[in-house]
Amino acid sequence: MEFDELQQIWDTQNNKPLFAINERALHNRILSKMRKARHITNTSELLLIIVNLGVGCFILGVNLYKQHSSMFLYGMAAWMFATFLYSLVSRIRRIKGDRRFDRSMHGDLNHAISVATYQVRLSQAMRWNILPIGILSLLSIWESGKSVWIGGAILILFALAFYGGLWENNIYKARKRELETLKEKLETKD
Amino acid sequence: MTEKEQLNILEDWLGQYKGLIFKIVRAYAAADHDDLFQEIIIQIWHSIPAFRQESSATTWLYRISLNTAIKWTRRERKHYQAETLENVQHILEENRIQPDERLVWLYEEIHKLDEIDRSITLLLLEGFSYKEMAVILGITESNVGVKINRIKKQLIAKSKNYEHHGIR
Repeated sequence: MEFDELQQIWDTQNNKPLFAINERALHNRILSKMRKARHITNTSELLLIIVNLGVGCFILGVNLYKQHSSMFLYGMAAWMFATFLYSLVSRIRRIKGDRRFDRSMHGDLNHAISVATYQVRLSQAMRWNILPIGILSLLSIWESGKSVWIGGAILILFALAFYGGLWENNIYKARKRELETLKEKLETKD
Repeated sequence: MTEKEQLNILEDWLGQYKGLIFKIVRAYAAADHDDLFQEIIIQIWHSIPAFRQESSATTWLYRISLNTAIKWTRRERKHYQAETLENVQHILEENRIQPDERLVWLYEEIHKLDEIDRSITLLLLEGFSYKEMAVILGITESNVGVKINRIKKQLIAKSKNYEHHGIR
C-alpha cells in the first residue's frame, strides 16, 4: 500500500464514530476528578510551609515561656522559619515560572521537566534539612538532661526519615530522567 | 470566564470534535479507553481559558490531547490497574459497527510505535501540514520532515507485508 491508501483507510472512520459517550457518567467523573486534581507538588509545598511555620512558632512560644530557655531550641525555631521562607519563595517562583512554557508538545515536556527538576531539588533540600533539625533536637535533649534512650529513639527516627528522603528523591529523579529521554526523542533528527 | 461559559465551550467542542479525541484515545489506550478519555476532557476543560483563537480549535485540541495521551501512557505503564471499582460506570461505549479490518491493522501498527512517533503518525494521517505539526510538536519543520519520512517508509513496508502475507 502507498501512504495515500493508508490515509484513505484512516478516513473511513470519519463517518462512523468509534465510541458513543455516556454523558451523565462523563459529567460525574469530571466533577470527581476535578476535586481530586490537587497536584502532589502543590500539596507537599503547602504541607512544608504550614508545618515549618506551625512547628517553628510552637517551639519559639514554648521556649519563650519556659523558665530555662534553650539556645538550641531558638536555633531550631530560626531554622524552621528559614525553611518556611525558602518553601514559600520556591512555590511563588515555581508558579510564576509555569507561565513561561508554550502549549506545544515540546513546551509541555519542558514544563514537565521543570516541575520534575523542582521536585528533585525540593526533596533534596528537605532531606538535608533533616540533618540540622536532628542535630539541634539531639543537642536540646542533651542540654535538658533527658534519658539516653529518648535521644537514641529520636536519632533512629531522624535516620529513618533521612533514608526515606533518599527513596523519595530517587523516584523524582527517575521521573525526570524519563521526561528528558522523551524530550531527546522528540528533538533528535533521526 | 465563568465555569458555565467554560462548560458550554467544552460541550460545544465535544459535540464537534469528539471524533478527533476518539482517534487519539484508541491509538494510545489499548484497553482503558475511559480513563484516557476522561483525562483528555479534563485537560481540555482546564485549557479553555488559555485558548486565544490564535490557532484553530482542532490544532489546539490536538496539542492538548496528544500531550495528555503521552503523559497518560507513561503513567499508565507504572500504575496499571490503579483504579478498580471506580471504573464501573463506563463513559465510552464502543459502537457495534463491523470494524474495517485494515483500520484495525492500522491502529495496531500505530500502537506499536513509541509515544512521539504515534503523535506524528496521527497528525500525518489527519492531514496536518508540516508547519502545523511543527507548531503542535514544538520542533522545527525540517525535524518533522525527517521523522515523517522514516515513519512513512516504515508504515508502507509493513502494509506491503500485510497485503502480501497478512503478516501483522
